[in-house]
Amino acid sequence: MSPTIRPFGILRDYLQGEKEAHVSAGQTVRQALVSVGIPPEVVALVLVNDQPQEKDYLLEEGDQVKILAVVGGG
Amino acid sequence: MMRLYADSSKCTGCRACLVACSLNLFKENNPKKAALVIEAHFPAPGTYKVRVCTQCGKCAEVCPTGAIKLNERGAYYVDMAECNLCEACVPECPEEVMFVRTELADTSWKCDLCGDCVSVCGTGVLWIAETETVVA
Amino acid sequence: MYGYGGQILRINLSNGQVTKEPTPPDVAREFVGGRGFGIYFLTKEVPPKADPLGEQNKLIISSGPFSGLLIPGAGKCDWTTKAPLTGGYASASMGGHFTAEMKYAGLDSIILEGISPKPVYLLIDDNKIELRDASHLWGKGSIAVEKMLKDQYGEEFQVAAIGPGGENCVSFAHINHDYGRQAGRGGVGAVMGAKKVKAIVLRGTQSISVADPEGYRKAGMELFKACKEAEMLKEWSSYGTTIVVSWCDEVGALPTRNFQAGSFEDGKNLYGPVMRQKIVITDKGCFGCPSPCGKYSRVQRYDTYVEGPEYETIGMIGSNLGLSSIEDVAHANYLCDEWGIDTISAGGVIAWAMECYEKGIFTKADTDGLELKFGNAEAVFKLIEKIAKKEGIGALLAEGVKRAAQKVGKGSEKWAIHVKGMEQSAYATHNATAMLLAYMTCDVGAHHNRAWAITYDLQVGRERVAPEKVARVIWLQHFRPMFDVLGGCRLQWVELGIDRNLYLPALEAITGVHRTWEDLELVGERIWNLARLYWMREIDGFDRSWDLPAPRFYEEPPASGATKGQITRFEDVQKLLDMYYEQRGWTPQGHPTPQTLERLGLQSFVN
Repeated sequence: MSPTIRPFGILRDYLQGEKEAHVSAGQTVRQALVSVGIPPEVVALVLVNDQPQEKDYLLEEGDQVKILAVVGGG
Repeated sequence: MMRLYADSSKCTGCRACLVACSLNLFKENNPKKAALVIEAHFPAPGTYKVRVCTQCGKCAEVCPTGAIKLNERGAYYVDMAECNLCEACVPECPEEVMFVRTELADTSWKCDLCGDCVSVCGTGVLWIAETETVVA
Repeated sequence: MYGYGGQILRINLSNGQVTKEPTPPDVAREFVGGRGFGIYFLTKEVPPKADPLGEQNKLIISSGPFSGLLIPGAGKCDWTTKAPLTGGYASASMGGHFTAEMKYAGLDSIILEGISPKPVYLLIDDNKIELRDASHLWGKGSIAVEKMLKDQYGEEFQVAAIGPGGENCVSFAHINHDYGRQAGRGGVGAVMGAKKVKAIVLRGTQSISVADPEGYRKAGMELFKACKEAEMLKEWSSYGTTIVVSWCDEVGALPTRNFQAGSFEDGKNLYGPVMRQKIVITDKGCFGCPSPCGKYSRVQRYDTYVEGPEYETIGMIGSNLGLSSIEDVAHANYLCDEWGIDTISAGGVIAWAMECYEKGIFTKADTDGLELKFGNAEAVFKLIEKIAKKEGIGALLAEGVKRAAQKVGKGSEKWAIHVKGMEQSAYATHNATAMLLAYMTCDVGAHHNRAWAITYDLQVGRERVAPEKVARVIWLQHFRPMFDVLGGCRLQWVELGIDRNLYLPALEAITGVHRTWEDLELVGERIWNLARLYWMREIDGFDRSWDLPAPRFYEEPPASGATKGQITRFEDVQKLLDMYYEQRGWTPQGHPTPQTLERLGLQSFVN
């Protein structure tokens, strides 16, 4: 199964109402974000299978990616 | 029988549970009149300990006026009209969550398992479940 | 008055007199509470041009209508005074449990006046109010003192204390509470120290009456439910504000070596998940908080316990000083807390000194022998203590970066990173124009919390200079600090994204007064303008030059990192100010016009 990207909060706006997007394995999270139209610089936290990862993480089949926006800061 | 459980390792010491408790028990915003306790152990070891009523019923056993009764949830509660403030219940409570503080209220009080503390806790410290049967 | 403690407590430290008066209903109507009460009492009661450390200045501690009630995060306490750091307005927001306890003692504000002839601490136990001898506490650290007083009085008492930094009137001394929550900025701790008040010990056992108990309970429960159902709750609570460290590093907002860059080559060692895994032992929440940002840590290497470090401290003590170990940052945080100085200003002024050293302006003869290079953690630890004691080079740095740079000269004013004398907090703003404007115009100096606009920069184009960016900053400046007025915390709205309209039925049921967000934003604007008038009153010739940022952000493009080669043009800085003043109804020199004051009901404050 291909990796999925699931945005939370305001990041949902980038997927036009879709809850998640399917992306290809073998690319980085950063590349996958660009491929679905989400600017990487607005993403604060990347969780792959609920573990925090860098945006340079290389996606594997079946990975579930959650992404969180930077909302408002301290 | 149901009771309240607490996982102290998740407690952040915010005391929302205490306010919710006093609001239900006394219709007051006053965490000093809550029926559970958060102990803060700071600066070291930097942990909280939550003490809750286990509904063991030892308070009811010693109450000379029969003021501590079972409610529809199967929990012991204080019938405030019948409490004579003798304090016999207080030392019997193994968790130290049976309260008499005459400067704050002219009745004893304890947890009646209303569940409001569970509703407001943001970190999942508290839950209500069947009392575990402990085999001695 | 429903939802209020109902009384203002005044302590005249000079003669020991204690008085209480009813909270004025018209002030509650116009200024609501918290920092609204603070600016009102400061303007009305502290005479113009008072010495911040003198007998005439007052320290005004205020709760708000949410404080102590069943509202998420209702634990924010405002400390307002004339700032020793800037000579202008200071309003420091402190979390924890202090403000709830004030309300249970029936108090909306505590006003400390005069100067005590000897060190004292203030004991408030409901209606028993006493000044007690503090000679045995003087000289001790703020955490140690809190522990001693808690041991003496018991867990039900809340303590706010200063460290040696406050006693010695370091211009950015803070007030520490709940083992790691501070009224941090502007030098409020120095004012408390000048008044010779080591600590306030407080307990209240009374209930707070609300106008509509059932409506309040329902609205409060709705708010908690919304927080608990928020998608971000678990992630946010795991990392707190450290969630943004990696993002700031990536986009060039992480202050690095005195804001010379916005990305740190060793930044990865300071990221939230690394910290969580290495040192965090307990999540710690303020009063009534379902989404605790407090991360309580143990640093084994130094055998210290500290709440934090949170983002600002990681930025200012970590990357901004070139420190690349989270343990070192956490230990420095502990030292600042115990010695009683603000981590943000300490990071700012130490970074300036390190740059002076690396540029050859300081030698070891100036630094008491310290090798003051970026990255030298041991030197940072020693400097924190020296600043608190005002010893050697610490006496110079204790003045804050603006005055220190004026004294040293030799061009060092160029890398004194401040606005209005307050060290800029931890967002590098070489190329983020809305955030830059937020710092330039913040009502206490270069602080982030009034308007955190940097994500907006990223969303709409970071170098853009446009009216909508200015409008965004102004709206944030009214809206975000409203939580400091209400005595609550903004982070449930900001970070969990709960619907802000959920607060309105709660506020109405508590106070019995119907208010819309537009009404509240108008209160926010009234407070903002009154603070501006205060600056104009206290500082002769206060004009737009006081709103300029540090030259670094328009003269020195970073040599590395995500913002390499990027800069905001000076003409754009000026354009931002022009647009800002126009939208606010201020003159081109940044003074509210008579029409603006009339619209806000502030005419009586200018006569």
